[in-house]
Amino acid sequence: MHNSKDFKIPIGPQHPALKEPEGFSVALKGEKILGVDIRLGYNHRGIEKAAEERTYIQDIYLIERVCGICSHSHSTCFIQAVEEIAGLVIPARARYIRTIIGELERIHSHLLWLGVAGHEIGFDTLLMYSWRDREVVMDILAAITGNRVNYGMNTFGGVRRDINPEQSREILKALDILEERTKYYIEIATEETTIIKRLSGVGVLSREDVLRLDAVGPTARASGVKRDVRVDDSYAAYGELTFDVITDEACDVYGRTVVRVKELMESYKIIRQALKNLPDGPIAIKAPRKVPAGEALSRYEAPRGEDVHYVQANGTEKPQRVKIRAPTLANVQAVKHMLRDRFLADMPIVIAAIDPCFSCTDRMIALKEQDCAKGKIISWPALHAYSLEWHKKQGIDFTELNKKLAARGQK
Amino acid sequence: MSQEEIIKEGLLKKFNYLEGSVNIVRPRRMSIEVGLDNFMPVFAYLVKDMRLSHLCTITGLDEQEKLGFIYHLTGESGVMVNLKTSVAKASPLIKTVTSYFPGAEIYERELEDLFGAKVSGLAQGNRYPLTDDWPVGQFPLRKDWKASPEAEKGADKNA
Amino acid sequence: MSLVKKIVTWARIKSPWILHFNTGACNACDIEIIAALTPRYDLERFGVVLKGTPRHADVLVCSGPVTKQIEDRLCRIYEQMPEPKFVVAVGTCACSGGVFNGCYNVASGIDKVIPVSAYIPGCPASPKAIIDGVVKLLASLEDKEVKVKGR
Repeated sequence: MHNSKDFKIPIGPQHPALKEPEGFSVALKGEKILGVDIRLGYNHRGIEKAAEERTYIQDIYLIERVCGICSHSHSTCFIQAVEEIAGLVIPARARYIRTIIGELERIHSHLLWLGVAGHEIGFDTLLMYSWRDREVVMDILAAITGNRVNYGMNTFGGVRRDINPEQSREILKALDILEERTKYYIEIATEETTIIKRLSGVGVLSREDVLRLDAVGPTARASGVKRDVRVDDSYAAYGELTFDVITDEACDVYGRTVVRVKELMESYKIIRQALKNLPDGPIAIKAPRKVPAGEALSRYEAPRGEDVHYVQANGTEKPQRVKIRAPTLANVQAVKHMLRDRFLADMPIVIAAIDPCFSCTDRMIALKEQDCAKGKIISWPALHAYSLEWHKKQGIDFTELNKKLAARGQK
Repeated sequence: MSQEEIIKEGLLKKFNYLEGSVNIVRPRRMSIEVGLDNFMPVFAYLVKDMRLSHLCTITGLDEQEKLGFIYHLTGESGVMVNLKTSVAKASPLIKTVTSYFPGAEIYERELEDLFGAKVSGLAQGNRYPLTDDWPVGQFPLRKDWKASPEAEKGADKNA
Repeated sequence: MSLVKKIVTWARIKSPWILHFNTGACNACDIEIIAALTPRYDLERFGVVLKGTPRHADVLVCSGPVTKQIEDRLCRIYEQMPEPKFVVAVGTCACSGGVFNGCYNVASGIDKVIPVSAYIPGCPASPKAIIDGVVKLLASLEDKEVKVKGR
């Protein structure tokens, strides 16, 4: 005998936030989520196999395209491992330039996330504002590297392009603008009651859960776990720069928002230091075509968390094995746990809060009501709309806030 | 004594068969090779006694007649331990470590799909990352596997 | 063209509603498509609206090299769109597979699965290129009667 309210909702592979394919399957009882079934694989492109069939230099460009948002993270992590096997010590200037680009990438990623999170809760003005500000970073990246995304900055032995003094000045000017805007976002995040009400208590992950489920990145740091590869396992120029690891005790989506916005401020600090102390010298050293046999593991703090690349070389110009573990894969168990006993309407923002990058790791979750044979299909946009409606009924509505901010106009 | 040396000394004292198999490659990197039969006790020791509470991932390797598995463990100190074991390709049966790390489930499913490993103790669940209609016995990351319409039979419409 | 047909064509091309679908891409093209909708590039001034369902869409804006898992769904979404419909392949991966050409699990290009009306290359295709591509597609339809193709 089943309750007529119970139903199965598989949400098809149309993700609204990052427009990535994924399906969700969640066990429901009325409004409450009982459990989540995760199905991954839509984005599986066979990159690890392809990497074995290409040379190391070709692999830099392949691995950059594991993910378009954290492309520099993946290519740097990979090439660091290869350089370690080959025993190369790259010039200090190259390390600093890699750091600067890495932090610029973190800024663009966090601003992107801020907009996406705003969209998920119905606060579209935040989406428009933060993506408009993100264009400042995109312009800088395009000026230094030649492309807005997929920079192609790394080469085996260093970096491909230099940062000249004029570009340095442009970067610093852009950082000043962004810092002003970020202070504004921090103000919104910490003072607007609607946001605080909407995001607090949602997607709770206690400190113990983080340690047990092995979460990484801002998801872990928002639960007070001080986990940051830039400090724990320093690479590039981070060992020579001073910055704080931002943590928060809120343990929920609100905490993750605060952590990301404050991390933006730290990124500005790091870039300024790196530019000020940019060492002179070459930007790359000559690297061998064939890499002697050996293995290395490289870790990198991508905007989403810890990225791990393991490379095995066999003396030829192609790697023997390349293993990539992207940060979002490590946060999968945490998502399952966070959604349990939550309301269906919170699903979009909880999933968005771990900043999922499905091209790094593809996934699917499906909804199904307990003890029910029949199924019902709902698309993600419909779930998103449902979430907004449900919260409007609880008194959390962003229409007024949208109007207020739009009226304040361009700052 | 550095953290790496503490780990090495602890391991050699408890498991004297590891003599010669524990290497400190460089600061923050260690590698250990252990036979499958002794794998679980060493793994448990590293996780519980040496407090390596973070499993980064499990890498599968095709080593001709064998399948190798490297478990990448790290802890608060930042030391990364690569614990390696191997199993014969003909009967690649390994035990799950999800009792220590619930998140390891996804890494183990990847080994099953892409290398053909059999992980005992894994709960029922969806496969990752290949499709449900992927032909049986085709393991893409094995060295002798080549992408071709025959190998991916049933999925390519234009084949 | 008869007057009625002219009006219908005009209505269809003046305000295309698009559906965005990612067939296994790295995300870069998708971010650029969404960036095209944000204040800097503002695709909406051309009357372009991003819809959530294929049943309301005129143009399917697709990125990605089409992984095996997504192939079936891509066909289903294409079939759910009402005639006349157009497909725009955004990014090098969608045009030919890009860096993933020849990889297992990948069909290497959207035109291997569904008919494509316009190709926008680039890795990723910049928002300017995307706007250019969509506008060019619409301009090319202006003089032609938009026929409803048989399946």
